[in-house]
Amino acid sequence: MLAWSLPAVSAPVADDLFQTRILPLLTQRCHECHSHASKKSKAGLMLDSLGALLKGGDSGPAVVPGDPEKSLLIRAVRQGDPKLQMPPKGKLSETEITLLATWIREGARGPKEDPAAAFIARGTNWWSLRPLEKPVPPPLAGAVAPQARTAIDAFVLAKLRERKLTFAPEADRRTLIRRLSFDLTGLPPSPEETRAFVEDNATQAYERLVDRLLASPRYGERWARHWLDTIHFADTHGFEHDTLRMNAWRFRDYTIAAMNRDTPWPRFIREQLAADVFFPDEPQLAAALGFLAAGPLDTSTQSTAPRTFDYLDRDDLVTQTMSAFASTTAHCARCHDHKFDPIPQVDYYALQAVFAGISKGDVPFDESPETTRLRKQWQALVTAADTMNAAVLLTAENQPLVAQWEERFGKTVTEWQSLALDSANATGGSTLAREADGSVSSSGTRPERDTYNVIATTSLATVTALRLEVLSDAKLPMKGPGRQDNGNLHLSEFEVHYRTHNAVPPTKLKIKRATADFNQAGWTITHALDGNVGTAWGIHPRVGESHLAVFELEQPVKLVAGAKLVIALKQLHGGGHLIGRFRLSATDALGASAEAVPTLVVASLKTAREGRTPEQRLALAAHVLRLHAQAEQAKLPAPAQTFAVTRAAEAKAVHVLRRGDIDKPDALAEPGTLAAVTMLPARFALKNPKGEAERRAALADWLVDPRNPLTDRSMANRIWHFHFGRGLCDTPNDFGRMGSAPTHPELLDWLACELRASGGSLKHLHRLIVTSAVYRQSSGGSAEGAALDPENKLLWRMNRSRLDAESFRDAVLAVSGRLDLTMGGPGVQHFKTSPGPQATPKVDYTAVDWDSPGAARRSIYRVVWRGIPDPFMEAMDFPDAALLQPTRPFSASALQALVLFNNDFVLRHSEHFAARAEKQGADMGARAGAAVRLAFQREATAEELRVLSAYAVKHGLPALCRVLFNSNEFMFIN
Amino acid sequence: MNSCSSTDRDGLLASLAHSRRDFLGRIGGGFAGVAAADLLFRDALADGPFRPKAEFNGGLHHPAKVKRVIQLFMTGGVSQMDTYDYKPALEKLHGQKLGPTEKPEGFTAMPGTMMKSPFAFKQHGQSGRWVSSVFPEQAKLVDELAFLMAMTSKTNVHGPGTYMMNSGMLLPGFPCLGAWVSYGLGRLTDNLPTFVVLPDAKGLPYNQTGPFSAGFLPAVHQGTILNAGAPEPVPDLFARNRFPFASRDADRDGLALLDNLNRAHAKTHPADSRLDARIASYELAAKMQLSAPEVFDLARETEATRTAYGLGNANKVMEDFGRRCLLARRLIERGTRFVQVWSGPQGATGNWDNHGNIPNELPPMAASVDQPIATLLRDLKSRGLLADTLVVWTTEFGRTPFAQGNVGRDHNGGTFVTWLAGAGIKPGTAVGQSDEWGYKAAEGKTYCYDLHATILHLMGIDHERLTVRHSGLDRRLTDVHGHVVKAVLA
Repeated sequence: MLAWSLPAVSAPVADDLFQTRILPLLTQRCHECHSHASKKSKAGLMLDSLGALLKGGDSGPAVVPGDPEKSLLIRAVRQGDPKLQMPPKGKLSETEITLLATWIREGARGPKEDPAAAFIARGTNWWSLRPLEKPVPPPLAGAVAPQARTAIDAFVLAKLRERKLTFAPEADRRTLIRRLSFDLTGLPPSPEETRAFVEDNATQAYERLVDRLLASPRYGERWARHWLDTIHFADTHGFEHDTLRMNAWRFRDYTIAAMNRDTPWPRFIREQLAADVFFPDEPQLAAALGFLAAGPLDTSTQSTAPRTFDYLDRDDLVTQTMSAFASTTAHCARCHDHKFDPIPQVDYYALQAVFAGISKGDVPFDESPETTRLRKQWQALVTAADTMNAAVLLTAENQPLVAQWEERFGKTVTEWQSLALDSANATGGSTLAREADGSVSSSGTRPERDTYNVIATTSLATVTALRLEVLSDAKLPMKGPGRQDNGNLHLSEFEVHYRTHNAVPPTKLKIKRATADFNQAGWTITHALDGNVGTAWGIHPRVGESHLAVFELEQPVKLVAGAKLVIALKQLHGGGHLIGRFRLSATDALGASAEAVPTLVVASLKTAREGRTPEQRLALAAHVLRLHAQAEQAKLPAPAQTFAVTRAAEAKAVHVLRRGDIDKPDALAEPGTLAAVTMLPARFALKNPKGEAERRAALADWLVDPRNPLTDRSMANRIWHFHFGRGLCDTPNDFGRMGSAPTHPELLDWLACELRASGGSLKHLHRLIVTSAVYRQSSGGSAEGAALDPENKLLWRMNRSRLDAESFRDAVLAVSGRLDLTMGGPGVQHFKTSPGPQATPKVDYTAVDWDSPGAARRSIYRVVWRGIPDPFMEAMDFPDAALLQPTRPFSASALQALVLFNNDFVLRHSEHFAARAEKQGADMGARAGAAVRLAFQREATAEELRVLSAYAVKHGLPALCRVLFNSNEFMFIN
Repeated sequence: MNSCSSTDRDGLLASLAHSRRDFLGRIGGGFAGVAAADLLFRDALADGPFRPKAEFNGGLHHPAKVKRVIQLFMTGGVSQMDTYDYKPALEKLHGQKLGPTEKPEGFTAMPGTMMKSPFAFKQHGQSGRWVSSVFPEQAKLVDELAFLMAMTSKTNVHGPGTYMMNSGMLLPGFPCLGAWVSYGLGRLTDNLPTFVVLPDAKGLPYNQTGPFSAGFLPAVHQGTILNAGAPEPVPDLFARNRFPFASRDADRDGLALLDNLNRAHAKTHPADSRLDARIASYELAAKMQLSAPEVFDLARETEATRTAYGLGNANKVMEDFGRRCLLARRLIERGTRFVQVWSGPQGATGNWDNHGNIPNELPPMAASVDQPIATLLRDLKSRGLLADTLVVWTTEFGRTPFAQGNVGRDHNGGTFVTWLAGAGIKPGTAVGQSDEWGYKAAEGKTYCYDLHATILHLMGIDHERLTVRHSGLDRRLTDVHGHVVKAVLA
């Protein structure tokens, strides 16, 4: 019936039809619930582009070109199926339904577009994604010009002028020093500092104060805390097994040091994401990788549901990294394309692929680069010895070491005498046979595990050590010496007994130490002595050659006639890792010569230097240099530990998951990042596509690229936020369409450009901001401002802020004269623990002695238990470390008031505060005045003194100090 | 804090020319006043657009039937086929190896052979609901209860499972049901916390305090943990005795002095609602100091009541859970809006996580809660509290129909049982059923989203409209899911 409008259409006409008829119809009837414009995609369905229609939603494509009957869109609008009836309010007219059906039958044509590209293109015209270019501060004329101290002021004044507002007067000196001190260092100024500043008449007095505070180590302690909030750092895992991370504090100390040093922001990013790649010669930066291990860790899911764990753990890393550095909610694209921002689901999984393979835990590291250099140097020599690398071993500089060793030990080469065998039996099923050379071979069935028992005698009168040779043999897999397919063996335990007579129970001989000519990594010969059958000695990958191990007895054993040695070779690790051929010998030599000296070395030493074969010379050098390198390694300081991540040799495969469901894997995700940042490639060109660490490094490079507009905007906004209590964009982790628009976009860009141009100096930005007239305003208001802009978004006054949990606690300590400024080291525990029902202990915050050592350290040094937070800090809005916390909230409640009024910490420090005030005044009036001066940095009025001292006289000075700690004047910063 | 020494008054008050007004007097009384008391903070914070409406009986979007909730949470994963989900097929299949051949995600061991329940099942009440012998007292009340027989979780792991049943999310950091209710509806009284959590005396549940978190909502909405059996059930309600200067007299005068200092300060710092909110917080604290000790004084109950809740038995089996059920009643009676009572701590023993031995481990757990729960329901009813109180019994997931070892059962998010009772609930109903083995939900499957949507609905809240913008999304308790389970509504 609509045939008149739909002739046998040619393509251009059909394309036109989509634009002129179909899209308007969909806009009118469907877009309320299915469009970017409405920010709704019910059932995962968008109907605002041809690509979106073809892609469809949760139930599948909405449109099947050429087939209206199979198209869900047509089924829905016909409303024949009770479960699928759209639109919910009012059926389309028959004409409209026919129009849709005809368009589909004709091929559902429309403007060609790459749906992904179009999706991104539609979204990138957005303030945070536009290139970062430095705006010119607006010119100021007339009366307001003198109010501007800096370019920042010009931007703010220009906006104020539009509303006929202006700055509040500059705050007084006392207010300024209190504000600056808390802001930059998290501590109040002392009365002396306050007086000095108030009385300082120099023109640069304020700037000098700023410089002093920024140079103070207290600055790093304050601003590191902001970063720890932002990345949900804590000292325990959270989740079910919420146990302590003993070494997480190193990341806290790293952050404090980085802030104090003013580490350039790009470098800070590189260190935290990939210090191992960018700075391999600075091992102490291992602590920086604690960034990637800052968040919660669900060890229970990790062990019982590992696939789920991998995706969720990486999700947290993607969320944290992109929120913290780029203020982007990439994590909203886990189950579907981002509903509001130009982030397709594939980009989200590209980011997951960046973190594919790292694992969290305690990581050993050297605190000094020199230690690492030496460790690497000696390890290279061990490796050279293991691989018989003549180019290294036979260099001229190494030869004196070999000669020296030979001089000292070469003449005392141990003579070994093969044991005479009485019997050799296997208990696990192998068949043992004696060979002509005194060795024993194993053949026949190859059981998983076996124990070889040997009874033997020797003509030696005393035995000081035993030697086990495991011999290569052409009959064995890979020529042995093991029976495993790869030629390896695992000796779990070596035991030797001594028996004088059949009737007497044998005596176990204690073995002092064991050495081997070669140890498989992680499978050293000491495992054959540790009493643990789960560990063993192995020789992989050095298969196809003979090896030996020497077992030195604790006491030489004197052998009487007829005495037997009973030796057990336990090979219980499993997997058929059995010895294929072996020989046992004994010696009566004493001391250091009872080392496992390889056969070739022995032969070499027995041969005059000139007569040695190249193999003998090489073997000798390898043996000596390995011993030397190992001895040098043992002298190095033991590695420290930090809770961080370890890199994987190879990245794990990450799939795009349909609807975010691990049971619906789609294509393999390529490592990469957001295509929405159109200035940079969204996928990484990696030399080694399977490399893990390279991926993190590539993401860091993308973040710090000067063309990336997000990174500098993100950090400039955070800095502004912490100075003013609200960012220029007041959703610091979300610069997308669900976030807030910036109040002063040009100012934000100007600051971001300053940050970039300074090389990423946070202190540069602090200086710019706190010396501005905006910052120096009084927080008192004007009636006009309150009426026109009650939230003070335009900054017609300074924002008043309440002390956060740390500042309150630290201020109480400082005012009480108790603050302990010791920096760094393991966290201070403001609780007692006792065993809990499972891994997580019970944590008791009420049982703390506030006079105990360390109790008065700054709050940043306390252990933060993720799942069992300190009720005192929590009452003051210390955030839940389960979450990224870019901002601190404000709350006031009865429970908060009870905690502040009655908690032991406040009451004990009220006593200390009172003791301090008491020394500063002869009578109660003077003491109350001292208390006000210490707490508020001002003098009390006569009237106040009368009232306060009356209370103190009646209830004691500590009672008054408690009231002062609870007062709003103490709690708020003007 | 109403009385102050005359010296102080003459001095400070006169000098500051400030007249004290009663806090509630400023904002009106009655329910409207109570709601407004909460609004003071709201306005101060501007952190939510929600305003309970008197015409909706305190609901937000439609009339509320429920004003308060007691949630009984069984930690560890109650075995459904040994309690409320009778599976005769297991008797026939007992001992056969029929389960998955690979270990599913979140199982702690390979599934063993099919295992019948070691307990006898009987039908009870008019509704004919099957209940096993471990719940003889609750069995008598099945006609009062509405069952969700096919609840499902998205995980088989305790931590995420416990989060899910509380906050609707598998991960930490999201507000739980009680916090959302506190945030959306505010408080019913000034005298007690709005959302109270009563953990098992043996310890906290999985995720420690995570299941009571306010997540990204203001901290004031998080669960207040009260240690029912401890000498100081409300921490910091009063100063400890070791601080003699913090006597009750000094408290009273000190709060008055503080109030005056803060008011003088507010006067010179006008138009900052946070200052007023802090002033008000100390007044509320003083009220709580007056009311809270009375709540915990169980001696005020009759001997008969205490006995019915299981207190005072020589064997002490019910002592802890019974005390907390009684306390829950006293709390909601006095205006606490949401009380969570936990049975069992995290860990391998003393809870419902019966991996090793169902016949030995389940009955003592059941005995510790059965009579107290039945008493709670009867008590609420007889006092008329059930007219606007909802009771919810739930757990984080169910257990496997296959044995773990010989006689234990492993975690199973596939299907489990929850029941509701009280205001707005259609008694004696059941929705959904599990498959023949009790392994997966078969029909009428419900998730935490549906349970939460239903509870919010009963409280006058449209779960899709109680949202908060956080980290790029308008977050809600039910994520992007949730349907009100109409079949259990009266």
